[in-house]
Amino acid sequence: MLRTNLKILFTVIGTLAVYTAVANMIPQVQSEVPEETAIGADATPEQLVAIGQELYEGAGGCTACHGLGTRAPDLLGVIGQVCGDRREGLECKEYILQSLTEPSSFVVEGFQPIMPDLRRTLSEPQIWALVAFLQSQGGQVTVTAADIPRAEVTAAGGQAIGDDGGAAAADAAVTDPVELLRTNACFACHQLGEEGVALGPAFETIGTRDAEYIRRSILLPNADTAQGFETVAGTMPANFGDQLTAAQLETIVRFLSSQR
Amino acid sequence: MSGPLMSGRLPRVRRGRPIRVAGALAAALLLLAADPGLAQDALALTPEYGRFPLIGARGAIWIAAQVHLMFAAFVLGVPMFAVVVEAVGMFGGDRRYDRLAKEFTRLLLIAYSATAIWGAALVFALATLYPRFWAYLTAIFAPSMWIYAGLFFLESFTLYLYYYGWERWKEGIGKKMHWGLGILLNVWGTIVMFIANSWLTYMMSPPADVTADTAPQTVRLWSAIANATWMPINIHRLIANVVFGGAIVGAYAAYRFLAARTDEERAHYDWMGYIGNFIAIGALIVLPFAGYYLGREIYEFNQQMGITMMGGFMSWLWIIQAFLIGILFLTGNYYLWVGMGRIPGAERFTPYIKWLLIVLVIGTIVWATPHTMIANRREIAAMGGTHHPFLGVLGVMSAKNTAVNFMILTTFLSFLLYRRANKQPVIGWARTGTLVQGAAFALAGGIVLFYGIYGYFVSAIVRIGFSVYQVLAVLACILVVITLDVLMLRGATSRGAIRWGQMPARSQYALFILAVTFTWLMGLMGFARSGIRQHWHVFEVIRDTSPQAFTPALGPAATMISVCVLIFFGIVAFIFWLGGLAEKPIVGPAAVGTAVDLGPAATSVAVGPGPAPSAAAGD
Repeated sequence: MLRTNLKILFTVIGTLAVYTAVANMIPQVQSEVPEETAIGADATPEQLVAIGQELYEGAGGCTACHGLGTRAPDLLGVIGQVCGDRREGLECKEYILQSLTEPSSFVVEGFQPIMPDLRRTLSEPQIWALVAFLQSQGGQVTVTAADIPRAEVTAAGGQAIGDDGGAAAADAAVTDPVELLRTNACFACHQLGEEGVALGPAFETIGTRDAEYIRRSILLPNADTAQGFETVAGTMPANFGDQLTAAQLETIVRFLSSQR
Repeated sequence: MSGPLMSGRLPRVRRGRPIRVAGALAAALLLLAADPGLAQDALALTPEYGRFPLIGARGAIWIAAQVHLMFAAFVLGVPMFAVVVEAVGMFGGDRRYDRLAKEFTRLLLIAYSATAIWGAALVFALATLYPRFWAYLTAIFAPSMWIYAGLFFLESFTLYLYYYGWERWKEGIGKKMHWGLGILLNVWGTIVMFIANSWLTYMMSPPADVTADTAPQTVRLWSAIANATWMPINIHRLIANVVFGGAIVGAYAAYRFLAARTDEERAHYDWMGYIGNFIAIGALIVLPFAGYYLGREIYEFNQQMGITMMGGFMSWLWIIQAFLIGILFLTGNYYLWVGMGRIPGAERFTPYIKWLLIVLVIGTIVWATPHTMIANRREIAAMGGTHHPFLGVLGVMSAKNTAVNFMILTTFLSFLLYRRANKQPVIGWARTGTLVQGAAFALAGGIVLFYGIYGYFVSAIVRIGFSVYQVLAVLACILVVITLDVLMLRGATSRGAIRWGQMPARSQYALFILAVTFTWLMGLMGFARSGIRQHWHVFEVIRDTSPQAFTPALGPAATMISVCVLIFFGIVAFIFWLGGLAEKPIVGPAAVGTAVDLGPAATSVAVGPGPAPSAAAGD
C-alpha cells in the first residue's frame, strides 16, 4: 500500500507541478495600481511622454483594447498624425483629451462605444501625460506642464498627484441636468426643444415613462426598445453607468422624469 | 471569497499588535451598533490593515478563503447528488444506490468540520488583517450574517439527522421523510451559499448608487445583496459544486479501489468511481453556459471590468483555462475508454476511439491557441503584427467555439458508446433509430462547422450570436440522441455483465488527475473573479491602499493556487483515511449477493449499471 500511496502522491504533485510550470512559462502581466507621479512645473514634453507611455502600457489599461485590431483603433504611430484633423476647430491635444474624458463624443466608425472615462481611474496630470504620449505617435507634442492645472503644483516645483484615482472630479461639480446631457453627447440622438437630433425618443415627453424606466434605459439601453425606434435599437452606448456618478445619474433621471 | 481579495501591510500598524487591532475593531462595531451617527468616526478609528508573518496578509487571506471555498463546494455539491442517488434507489427499488448515497454522505461529516474550521479562520483573518474593510462589510451585511449563522446551525443539524437516521428510517414513509431531510439539507446549504455569495459579489459589483462617499449604514441591505453578479455567481457555483463534488468522490473511490483487498470492494469502488466521473463530466458540460451568463452580466455591469477579465492583463488566464479543460475532457474520455475494456461487446467500438482522440486533441490545441493578448510594441514587432500570422487565424472565437462544441459532442459520443457497449436492442426500429442518432450527430456537427466558418466573414457583433446557434445545435443533439437511446434500449438483452472491478490501476490515477485538475481550475477561476476588481476592495468604492494592492501575474497566482490545492488534498487524504477507519466498508457478502441477484438486467437506471463483481458474476 505504501507504493500505491507514493504513486498517488506523485500523481497529485506531478499534476500540480505541470500546471504551475505552464502558468509560470507564459508572459507574466501584473495589474499595477495607478501610482502617484511627480510632475514638476518645469516638466519637459519628453518627460510627459515617458510618463504617458508608462501609463499607456500599464496602469492606464489602454493595451487591453488598443493595438489588438478588434476592440479599438490602433493608435501607436498613427494617432499623432490624424488627431488634428479629426474635428474642425479642435486642436490635436484637445481632441485626444476629449476622447479620453468624454469617450462617447467620438466613436470611430466600426467600433463599439466601450471606452471608459479615464477620469475614473487616472488623475488629470496623468491624463495629460497620456495625451502627450499619444501626440508623440506620429505627431508633434504640444502638451506642456502649463496645460496641467496649476492648483495641483507644489511650491517645491514637484506636483503631488492625488491618489483618489481622478474619480471624475471635474464632472462631479456639474449639477445642471441640461449641461450633463450636453457633455454626455445625449443630444447627438435625442432632442430637447431646439437642441439635439430626433434620432431616438424626444426628451420633451420622456417623462410619461416612470423614473425607473428612464434610469434603466440609461444604464441598460438595450433592455427595452421604445416603440417606433426599433430600427435604431442597440445604438445607444451602454457605458453611461461608467461615466456618470450616481448623483449625476439621478439628476438626469429626475430632470427627464419631469419632462411631460 | 477566493483569490487576492485584498492585500498587504500597513506601515501604521506595528508588528505584535493584533490585540489592539481586534480591540479597535470591537470598539468600532460597538459604536456602529450603538449609534449609526458615530459610524464614520468609528471606521476612521479602526486601523486599516494588519500584518501576517512570512506570507503577508494577502497570502493568509487567499489561503484561508480558497481552502474554505474548496471544502464548502464539496459539502454543498455532494448532498445534491446524494439525494438524487438516494431517490434512484428509493423509487427504483435498487438498494445499491441507497448504500452509495449513504457512503457519499459519510464523506460529508468530517469534511463539514473542516469547512467550518477554515470558515472561522477566514473570518478571524478578515477581522484582524483587514479590520476597517471588515467593519465596512459588517455595517452593511450584519443582519444577513446572523441569518447565515442560524442557517448554518440548521444545516449541521439536518446533516446529522440525515446521516445518523439512515438506518432508522429506511422503510416506507420513514424513508420518504429521510429523503425529505436530504432535500432540506440542500435547501439550507443553498441559502447559506447564496448569502455568502452576496458578500463577495458586492465587492465585485456594488449597486450603482453606492460611491466612495456613501456611508455603509445607508446602503440598503437587499440592494447590496441583489447586486449585478449575485445571481449569475449563485447559478455558476451551484453547478460547479456538483462538478467538484463528483470529482472528489471519484478520487475517493479511486483511492479505495487501489486499497481494496477483495474483489467485492474493488467492484463497489470501481462503480462508485464511474458514477463520480459521470456526475463531474455531465455537469461540466452545462457549466460553460452558466459561465457565459456570468461573463455577460460582468460586461453589462462594467465594460472595462469585462475587458480586463477577457482581454486585459488576465487574457492569458483563459489560455490556461482552455489547457485545463482540454485535460479534463481528455482524461474523462480516457477513463471511459479504459472502462470499456471491462464491458463485453465494447470491443466493436474500439476502432473508433483513435478518431475520438484525434478530435479531442485538435479541439484542445485550437481552444488553447492565444489570440487577443496584451502585447507591447517590441512583441508586436517580433510577431510581425498584432496577431500571429498562422495561429492568429485559429485563435479567434469562431474557431474556439467550433472546437469546444466538437469536444462536447465527442465526449457525449464516448459516453454513448460506453452505455451501449454490452446492450443489444430488441425493438424492431433499432436500426432506424441508430441512423437517426447518426443523422442528429451529423446535423449538429454540420451546424457547428458551418457557423464556425461563416463567422470569419461577418462582423464581431454578428459572430457572437453564432455561438448561440452552435450551442443549441449541440444541446438539441444530446437531447434527441439520449431520448432515442433510452427508448431503444428498453428491454435490451445483454452481451454480458460489466466486470466491475476489472479496471486497470492507471484508470484510477486518471480519476486523481481529474480531481486535482478540477480543484486547480476552481482556484484559477476564483483568482479571475476576485482579480478583476484589481486594486479595489469594493470595485470603484473602496480602494485597496495596502502595499500589495496590485493584482499578481499568473505565475505567482498559480503557485499560490497550487499551495491551496496541496493543503486541501492533504486534509482530504486525512479525511479519506478517517472515512476508512470510521466504518467498515459498506460492501460485504450480503451486498455482493444483492448485486449478483440484480445482475446486468437491472442496469437501465439514470447513471448506469451497478457493480456485479467479476468473480461472483462468473465472468
